Amino acid sequence: MRKILTATVKEFQLLVRDRAGLLVLFLMPAILVIVITLVQENVLELSGQRQTEILMLDRDQGVFTASLCSYLQQAQVNVRKYGSNQEAEFRRLIADGKYQAGLIVPAGTSARLRQGMEALLSGGKGKSTRKVSAVESLQMFFDPAAMAGFRAGLLVRLQMAAKAAEMEMMAGQLEKILAEQLGRIQLRVDPAHIADSGLKKAFSHTFTRVVEQTSPSGGPSIEDIMNPVNQNVPAWALFGIFFTAVPIAGTILSERRSGIITRLLGMPVSPLQLLAGKVVAYLAVCLCQFLLIALIGIYLFPHLGLPAFILPRHPIVLLPIVVAAGLAACGFGTFLGTVCRTYEQASTLGSTLVVIAAALGGVMVPVYAMPHLMQKISLFSPLSWGIDAFLDLLVRGKSFSAIVYDLARLLVFSAVMVVFSWRRFAR
Amino acid sequence: MICNTSIESSTPAIQAARLVKRYRSAVRPVLTDFNLTVGAGEFFGLLGPNGAGKTTILSILSGLLLPDNGIIRLQGLTYGENRREIQRKIGIVPQEIAVYDRLTARENLIFFGRLMGLGGMRLKERVKSCLQIAQLEEKANQRVSSFSSGMKRRLNLVIGLLNDPSILFLDEPTVGIDTQSRHLIHQELKRLYRNGTTLLYTTHYMEEAQELCSTIAVLDDGRVLLEGPPGKLLEGGGHLNLEELFLELTGKQIRDD
Repeated sequence: MRKILTATVKEFQLLVRDRAGLLVLFLMPAILVIVITLVQENVLELSGQRQTEILMLDRDQGVFTASLCSYLQQAQVNVRKYGSNQEAEFRRLIADGKYQAGLIVPAGTSARLRQGMEALLSGGKGKSTRKVSAVESLQMFFDPAAMAGFRAGLLVRLQMAAKAAEMEMMAGQLEKILAEQLGRIQLRVDPAHIADSGLKKAFSHTFTRVVEQTSPSGGPSIEDIMNPVNQNVPAWALFGIFFTAVPIAGTILSERRSGIITRLLGMPVSPLQLLAGKVVAYLAVCLCQFLLIALIGIYLFPHLGLPAFILPRHPIVLLPIVVAAGLAACGFGTFLGTVCRTYEQASTLGSTLVVIAAALGGVMVPVYAMPHLMQKISLFSPLSWGIDAFLDLLVRGKSFSAIVYDLARLLVFSAVMVVFSWRRFAR
Repeated sequence: MICNTSIESSTPAIQAARLVKRYRSAVRPVLTDFNLTVGAGEFFGLLGPNGAGKTTILSILSGLLLPDNGIIRLQGLTYGENRREIQRKIGIVPQEIAVYDRLTARENLIFFGRLMGLGGMRLKERVKSCLQIAQLEEKANQRVSSFSSGMKRRLNLVIGLLNDPSILFLDEPTVGIDTQSRHLIHQELKRLYRNGTTLLYTTHYMEEAQELCSTIAVLDDGRVLLEGPPGKLLEGGGHLNLEELFLELTGKQIRDD
């Protein structure tokens, strides 16, 4: 017991004297809990229970759409109306993920609904010639990367709002008809007459339906791409790739501790060449990691009852993303290895920062489901750049040119990290 | 003491003039106006108590550390203009056992040899020769993690010899090893000296310095207190050995910094 106590006291002494290590031990979990909580704060939006903003192309400009907007507002769906002649831009904004959903209300919807209602309420005796059974289709578009729960939740809210708007119109029509009929029969109301007017039928009839459209960019079908595997495989592969930063930092710190760096710096070799050697070796590890996770997604998941990971038509287009993300991770590793003093510091700081970057980057919760502040901060997470690039190719069906900016950001991040490490490594 | 049979060149192997070095955290400079000249083919020993500045001098002379001021020339070349050329001519044996534990002795030698610019048959020959010098031929393909500290020290030494350097910097190369390994390292250092290699080495072992060095300098507070061949230094003062002289010059007070 005395020996355990002695050993414990010694460990405390060591801990207290490693101030940087202590800071990492306490500060990192504190940051982690704040970030993860903030990131997940809006997670209910995924199931459609929180405030959402959608785009609307209002070609109707009638009472139905005005009423629909008002009911959507009550259901916590903010509607941002878009010019009726700007469908291409409307589709692009959704396809790019700037908005997660958009609705097109066709021209003349309100007028046709009014005619249909009149026809139903008058039991075919009115002046309207419209077919009673006609249903107006409201076209709904989703960002291909929007999650299934979010889609389902939003669809339900839209259908309910449409039904409420219908009912409001119907009430208006009914009021009008009743006023006409009551005036004609001079307040002698015959219940049988009302029953004959088709009221029951009218209230049970559905005049509108929300139709979910395929990808706004006209890419692969939603059924094909909308599976969690296609989003999770690249996201968690990136998470794994960024964790290679910790062993890279470990090799630098072990070389420093053992005096190998002293020996290396006395040789006719540049510190940049030495760092490059590490980056190339660990980049190969990153590529193998991605390959392994992709193979698991393709071959193992179907045996576990999960959808298979679907590669793009030319899987080679994924290689630049993996390489750029791998370089960013390796650059981050060299940074950790030159900034930290011990392996314990590097492993704690490294893993915590990767978890935070992953949370901010949308590995755990999609970026669009985060509060606005966190969405802005997520723009600085290298994992978010990687995930964006993967989703553009795998889910949104975009071309290679769409991911060039994300690749450039990852490469610049890597270069900045390596140059910084190079300057410190040579000291 | 041993003798170098090579002809001394007129250009000193190592020349340091007016060196100044102050570490950021230190109250006073480690070196102030430090001067040192080591002739070609000399076996020069730097002796001094802890904190005297031995390792700092060795690091500056071997190009690992930049001085705040002063001039350094190695065989007439400066680091500013001829860094790569100097690095090809020198060998460094650090105080730490600076080898990769998870690599074998041969893999370590090949790795460092390649970084020194060796390749092909030349690399093969040098690796073989170094393994022979260190008497590690039979263990060449074993991981260094399985080696004793003496074996690791021998490997640490021969890595510094891979490029057949004309100037070799050694920072306490025999610290903490068995007698046999120390003897082997001494024999190798003597052989290098006989073959004309300039050796600059630091040690705390006075008898080792007395036995090996052609010239020694006793340092304290970043200054040279005394310099000359060990035999001559002992002649004048009537000291029995180098340790007695050293203690007289630097005092008996324990130095912990």
